[in-house]
Amino acid sequence: MGGHRSDGGPAGRRGVHLGDSAYARRAARDAGDPLPRDPATAGSGSPPHPPGPAVVLDEAEVQAFLVAALTQGRIDSGAEQRAVAAFRAARGSGAHRARSRRRDDWRPRERRLTGRSLRTTLSVLLASLTLGGVAVAAIGSSDSPSGSDEPGRSHAPTSPPAPGNPAGGPTGAESVSSAAPPGRPAAAQDTEAHCRAYEKAGRRGRVMDATAWQRLVAAAGGERHVTAYCAEQAARSDARPGRTAGPEKGTGASGNSGKGNGSGPGSANSGSKADSGSGKADSGSAGAVSGSGAGGGNSAAADDGSAAGSDGSGAERGSGGGQTRTGGRPARPDGSRP
Amino acid sequence: MGQGAEPRRGQAYDGELGEAVARAQQGDEAAFAAAYRFVQPGLLGYLRGLVGDDAEDVASDAWLEIARDLGRFRGDGAGFRGWTATIARHRALDHLRRQRVRPRSSALEQDVLDLPGPQSTHDQALEALSTERALELVRGLPRDQAEAVLLRVVVGLDGPAAARVLGKRQGAVRTAAHRGLKRLARQLRAESVTDETPRTLGEST
Repeated sequence: MGGHRSDGGPAGRRGVHLGDSAYARRAARDAGDPLPRDPATAGSGSPPHPPGPAVVLDEAEVQAFLVAALTQGRIDSGAEQRAVAAFRAARGSGAHRARSRRRDDWRPRERRLTGRSLRTTLSVLLASLTLGGVAVAAIGSSDSPSGSDEPGRSHAPTSPPAPGNPAGGPTGAESVSSAAPPGRPAAAQDTEAHCRAYEKAGRRGRVMDATAWQRLVAAAGGERHVTAYCAEQAARSDARPGRTAGPEKGTGASGNSGKGNGSGPGSANSGSKADSGSGKADSGSAGAVSGSGAGGGNSAAADDGSAAGSDGSGAERGSGGGQTRTGGRPARPDGSRP
Repeated sequence: MGQGAEPRRGQAYDGELGEAVARAQQGDEAAFAAAYRFVQPGLLGYLRGLVGDDAEDVASDAWLEIARDLGRFRGDGAGFRGWTATIARHRALDHLRRQRVRPRSSALEQDVLDLPGPQSTHDQALEALSTERALELVRGLPRDQAEAVLLRVVVGLDGPAAARVLGKRQGAVRTAAHRGLKRLARQLRAESVTDETPRTLGEST
């Protein structure tokens, strides 16, 4: 049925190679001779029970016989053409791009194992490096605040004002004033309360608490400046509350911790009034850096900070003081002093 | 003891077969035909031992699947023989199941004897006779032994590959192949010495 002998195929080669010996043995057997390559058993008189070596040799012969008998060199060309046609159809339909399944992987097991082990080793190495890096980073980050608290703390306030720019000062101050209310409004209300108490006390005699009075005098920069200072404070808080809050809060904020300095969403709206406030805020923050290092954000530090800030803004306040002084106010401390 | 059963067949051309398969996977049609010619004889011998004269049909079915799934295959020449043997075995088992459902008069030996009819040369007739005799012997073995012998010897798979095709442990397949070969050897030896010493017939089981 159309079978032909594959002349060039390896099966033909193999068939001929193994078949020759098989045929020779079979021919010898057919001729009635004993097996040609059994000289040992033949020479020993052919024992009735086949010994071990004879069985082994027979196994090899059996294999040769089976190969020669079952793997015939004939190839049905029609079947081959059908297989090739199926291959062509599969290639055309894209079936050859299908994904490999587990049962399609017949690569040698050693290579698969080494490949997997190599991949596993690499991934384990990578994971260990990553985890180790995270651990080292965690050690480093937890070490730097505990070991050098002051540099880590002072580093935080100094770096945000630098990108903060002119508008960064006030906005950072505002954000921090909302973030850390206890220190900041206490100082401002302290000053205003002292001023109010000073005005009342000035009219009815000195009933003001000595400590508060001393503090107010210190904040004003002298006993004679207290009225001007209080007038400026009142005017600033009345007329332009946002403006007055700028420098004071800036000093207090940076005196606190200055963490929120970098947050600049409000920089746009404060940009119009930031001309003078910027200078004050800058000086205030500069003073507050030293203040934070010393005080740690309590009310005393906030007071110091506000004092420094007010000193820094001495130019503008001096002009304001001049205005208030022309208003006839300075007569009051003199008059109130009996 | 089973050292003689260690397969060495097929590995001489496994390199060429692997290259042919690789080129066929790239779409080379001639390479696929070459791989077919490399593999088909052993595959057909294995299928003859399983399904007898239906081996050609089963092999055709198997090759349709092989041609379709060739892109999925991963491995070298030896792996390709194992992969194709697995596919052929599944097709053969399907065939046997169908045959069990509606049995047919399977006069195996007659069919095999009829097979070399058209080729009337003496050499091919002798070859067919030995084929018939070999099939008779192999199919007289228990199923697991017959399959192990065929895969190891005729297809030329090594132990792990044969075990994978059969879905069994490697030791079990090695034992089955060894027992099958020993039994075949006894029978062939009994046959070969029957002419002069009929007394050995008694021990051939």
